Amino acid sequence: MLQPRLLAPLRALKRAIGPAALSRQPLIPQPLLRTLSVPSILPKPPTSFSRTTTLSPLSQVRYASHAAQGASNKHSRDPAGKRLGAKRTGGEYVVPGCIIFRQRGTKWFPGENCGVGRDHTIFAKHAGYVRYYRDPQMHPDRKYIGVVFEKDEKLPHPRHLPTRRRLNMVAVPARPDSAAGQSDLMATIDETHGTRITSVQAVNAAEGPQLRPGYMYREANWQIGRAAEKAGIEAVPYDRNNRWLAWRKRKARADRAAQMKSLKGKKKAGKKAK
Amino acid sequence: MAHCERASKPLLQCLRSNYSRSLAGVQRHGFHSTAVAADEKAPAESTSEPFYKSPDPSLVSSPRLERQLMRGGVNPIGSRRRRAALQGSSNLPFEELPYQCFQEARKILQADREEKLADIQKMEVRIANVEATPTEQMGEQAKKSKLPAMRIHLDKLKILADINDPLVKRKFEDGQGKGFDVSSFHATGINICDFATGDMSKPIYQYLADQKWREYRRKILVQRITQMKVIPDVLAKCDPVVDTRLYFGKHQIQPGEFVTAKTTTVPPKLDVQLFERGEKLVTIAVVDPDVPNVETDNFDYRTHFLAVNVPVSATATKVDLSQLSADSQVVLPWLPPVAQKGSPYHRLSLFILEQDGSKPLDFTAVKASETDRDAIRLRTLQRQYQLKAIGAHLFRTLWDDTTQEVMEQLGFEGADMELRRKKVEPLPYKRRNPSSFR
Repeated sequence: MLQPRLLAPLRALKRAIGPAALSRQPLIPQPLLRTLSVPSILPKPPTSFSRTTTLSPLSQVRYASHAAQGASNKHSRDPAGKRLGAKRTGGEYVVPGCIIFRQRGTKWFPGENCGVGRDHTIFAKHAGYVRYYRDPQMHPDRKYIGVVFEKDEKLPHPRHLPTRRRLNMVAVPARPDSAAGQSDLMATIDETHGTRITSVQAVNAAEGPQLRPGYMYREANWQIGRAAEKAGIEAVPYDRNNRWLAWRKRKARADRAAQMKSLKGKKKAGKKAK
Repeated sequence: MAHCERASKPLLQCLRSNYSRSLAGVQRHGFHSTAVAADEKAPAESTSEPFYKSPDPSLVSSPRLERQLMRGGVNPIGSRRRRAALQGSSNLPFEELPYQCFQEARKILQADREEKLADIQKMEVRIANVEATPTEQMGEQAKKSKLPAMRIHLDKLKILADINDPLVKRKFEDGQGKGFDVSSFHATGINICDFATGDMSKPIYQYLADQKWREYRRKILVQRITQMKVIPDVLAKCDPVVDTRLYFGKHQIQPGEFVTAKTTTVPPKLDVQLFERGEKLVTIAVVDPDVPNVETDNFDYRTHFLAVNVPVSATATKVDLSQLSADSQVVLPWLPPVAQKGSPYHRLSLFILEQDGSKPLDFTAVKASETDRDAIRLRTLQRQYQLKAIGAHLFRTLWDDTTQEVMEQLGFEGADMELRRKKVEPLPYKRRNPSSFR
C-alpha cells in the first residue's frame, strides 16, 4: 500500500542525481544509494531534495497572486427600494383589505381584526382605526398591529372580557340553490362567418345531439359524463375489509403481469434467433 | 443487545416450556391474581367446546372472532398483540416468575406497600380521634381546617400504597372491575372502549384516570376552548377538573366538532367523570355566544339548555339531558341550535358548574327568574348563584342541508332570510401632494 508513494520521491531523487552520476563521478557512493532504496531510512533524504524547484515538476501550486475579476463594483450595489414600511399610521381609518404595513419577515404581527399576507403584509379585516401595540401577556417581545372599532379604544383588551366583534352582515331573502342545468359549447355554421364555436347559457343549451366542437353531432360532454347515472349503473363502493375481492384483483394483476413478461421474453428470444 | 436477545431466546423458551410443564398442576389450583382467573377459565372452556364457539375476550386474536364477540356486547381485553402473546404463554403469576432480579424488586415494592398500609391505619386512627374530640377542646376553626387536610393526606397514602402494583395498572388499562352493565351500554350504542378505567370508587383508579385524562384529552379541550375564544366570550375563566364527553345518539362529539342540525334535534347525553370522592351537585348550561343580530351589528347570546341540581360522582357519570326531571332540574329545556344561512359558525359551549358547597339551588326561584333564553348571561348566573366552572365542552354548527328542515320544525323566524357580507365602501382616493415628490 505505502510503497508507490514512498517510491515517488525516491524516483525524483534518482532523476536529479542520475545524469550527474552517469556523466561524472558519483556524488553519493553506490552503497549509500542502495541503502536509500530500503524503506526504513527513506524519510530523511527526500525531504532535503524536494525543496528545490527543479525537483517538483508534478506538484505545482498556484498562489492567489491575481485578484478575481469584477471587484470594482462590489461595494457600490444599490438596488431599488422596495417601498416597505407603514402605509397607515396609528389611529387612521381603514376598511377591510386595506394594507397597513409592508415588511420583509414579521417585524410586526397581525393583532386584533388584522391578517397577515403571503409576503407578511399586515392588512385590515374589519373597518376601524389602526393601533400599533405590544401585548406582553400574549408574547413578551412581539409588536402587533390591530384594528379597533371605536376611535378611542385601546389595545390590548383586558383578557377576561368577551371579545369585541362586529357582524358586518345584512339579511337578504334567501335564494334557492340553482344547480339545475349546465351551460354548453355549441358549433354553428354560417354563410357569412363560417363555423363558430360559442358557449351558450344553461337555459338555452339544447338537449340531444347537436353540432358541437369536433364537428360532429353528439350529446354535450356533461351528458356523456352522466351516461352511467342515466343507465342506472352503480359502482361498487370500495370496501377496505373486502379482502376476497382484493385478493382476486391482486391475483388478476399478477397473472397479467406474468403474461406480459412471458410475451416480452418470447419476443426477445425471437429477435435473437433472427 | 439484539444479539444477546436472539441468543438467549431459545434458552428462555426452553425454560418457559419446562416451567409450564412442571407447574401445570399448580396452576389449576388457584392463584389469587386476575390473570390466572382468566387462565383457569380458558382450559375449562376448551375441554367442553372449541374456542371459536365461545371465544375468550382475553385471548381472542383473530379479527373475525373479535367482531363476533363485540356483536355480543363483549369487548376484547387489551391489545390484539397482547392477546396473541397470551395464547402461547403459560401465564405465570408474578410470584412464580423465574427471574431473581424481578423477585428482589418485588420484595422492595411490597415492603414499601406494607409501610404505606401501616401509615394508612395510623392516619385513620388519628382522623377518628380528631372527629371524636369535642369542638370546645380544640376549637371549631381548627377542626374544620384539620379534618379535610387529613382526609386528603389519607387519600394520598392510599394512592401511594397501590401506585406500584402492576396488577392495579393492568386492571386500569383493561377496564376491568368497573361496575357497569355491558349489555345496557351496548343498547345505548356507546362504545365501551372509551372507558378503560378500573373501579372508579377507589382513589387509585380515580388518580390513574385523572392522569390519563390530563395527559391528552384535557389538553385538547383547553386548547379548543381557548383558541375558539369560548373562554373570554362565555366565561372569564375555566379550569376543567372533570372529564366531559358529549354524545348525540351514539356518536361521541370531540370538542369543537361541527355537528349537523338534524343530529342536534335530540338533547345530547353526557358522561361527566369526576376524579375525586363524594357527590357533587352541578348546574349544566349550553350557551351559544354567536347569535347574529343585524340591527346592532353584533352577536347575541342564547341559552340552549339550563339545568340545576344535577348529581354527579366518580361512579355515577351518566347524565342524559333528556332524562333530567322537568320538575326539579330542567330550567330551560333543550332548544336545537340552528345557524342561519350565511352566518358565521355558532359555538355551542357546554359548561358544568359546581354549585357552592354542593348545596342544591332553589329550583322554583331559579325557574321563575331565568325564563328568557336570550337575556341570560352565564357570567351573571355564575356570580348570582356562586357557581364554579369545573368542566366544559364545545361543538359547532353551521348552515347545512338539514338546517332548513329543522328550522321549519322549530318555527324559526328568519328561516327564509340569508346573511350576506355588507358591501365595503372603499376609501376615497387621496391624491398625494405632488410638490413633495421629487
